[in-house]
Amino acid sequence: MFLRNHWYVAALDEEVRERPLGRTLLGEPIVLFRAGDGTLHALENRCPHRQLPLSMGKVVGDALQCHYHGLRFDGAGNCVRVPGQDHIPQNARVRTYPVVERYRWIWVWMGDPALADPAQICDFHWLQDPDWGAKPSYLHVEANWQLIVDNLLDLTHLAFVHETTIGNMALVEHAAVKVQRSPNGVLVTRWTIDQPAPPTFVKVGKFAGNVDRWQIIDYTPPAFLRLDVGACPTGTGAPEGRRVGGISMRNLNAITPETETTSHYFWAQAHSFEPNNPDMTERIFQQIKTAFLEDVAVFTAQQRMIDLRPDAPQVDINADAGGIQARRIVDRLYREEQEAAAHATAAE
Amino acid sequence: MPVNFRVELIWQEREDTEAESIFLTADGRVILQGRGISAQEREALKLPRDADLISVDRNLIRAIKDML
Repeated sequence: MFLRNHWYVAALDEEVRERPLGRTLLGEPIVLFRAGDGTLHALENRCPHRQLPLSMGKVVGDALQCHYHGLRFDGAGNCVRVPGQDHIPQNARVRTYPVVERYRWIWVWMGDPALADPAQICDFHWLQDPDWGAKPSYLHVEANWQLIVDNLLDLTHLAFVHETTIGNMALVEHAAVKVQRSPNGVLVTRWTIDQPAPPTFVKVGKFAGNVDRWQIIDYTPPAFLRLDVGACPTGTGAPEGRRVGGISMRNLNAITPETETTSHYFWAQAHSFEPNNPDMTERIFQQIKTAFLEDVAVFTAQQRMIDLRPDAPQVDINADAGGIQARRIVDRLYREEQEAAAHATAAE
Repeated sequence: MPVNFRVELIWQEREDTEAESIFLTADGRVILQGRGISAQEREALKLPRDADLISVDRNLIRAIKDML
């Protein structure tokens, strides 16, 4: 199940330079390339001549040249050259996709182009805010995109999957979680008061005693999750809004479905302390990356089990509340999108 | 005594409408936030005298339907 009328992250900006990049999004092959003047384009990644992925070709001037027979396509998807003949067949063209470069990511609109509004792009300003240090990254994941969303909205797995990095048992045994569901979003908030800091926090925050720790997960459909996480020494007033003497970070996640069972996982870690210290940025990134790979191992294993028996029953527990609400929003948006498409088809 | 794992669910139909909370407790109970019923109300509405009664707003009912 894919939601099409949304912006999705297709690539890190640094992935698309001189060479084209091919990537499948929502089951559709797309090629990203920059014209000679740097303008970014997104086209269907399939030459209409003999189906070769255009991403195997090269950029020539402002056009993308197919590797097989040299047909060239401009940014509007039109074939502008067929080697050896003057006549260009009328149907020698490929689909184009609205594309925007923002927050060091390349965003592609996967639905009706008439509805593409860049103002709807989810805010990830921390990636290029001078008051924050940040490092973005990419993982290809062998799992359905909603398994990743479930994982990010569930805070209790931290105590088990991330025991040696960002979790500890205090997160399960002493926590009260608040799940706020709005029409198009879920906000999960958890404060853990007067408990030991997890190993990663101790390393970067140099905490000597217990901390008040916050985890605030902001979910925006289809699959954008912005985590506000941090800790301050207990008793310094963080729960009342005074974040002093501690650490504050943003964990930023954008998941783009590749197929029903594979995903592109764009993520970044941003920090407000020592924002201009690249060593600190790298150190935090590596700490969090270790935790991320622990998660990847979990949801790829889940997907293997689901593939073996897709209809196996599942049991829900209290800790699933955030993920369940996110899935309900996605189900509703999917129904609305299908109904609108059927309506449009009927009207034609 | 430490808080065992507990979830508070809050439903917003719009930005300005927020339902009262639904609490999911570690021992499997669902606790609804509402207003207690006074002795005078029980008398006036002919409600049971000894039962634990609360009054909840309609947003909370919609939240229960939508969230649970």
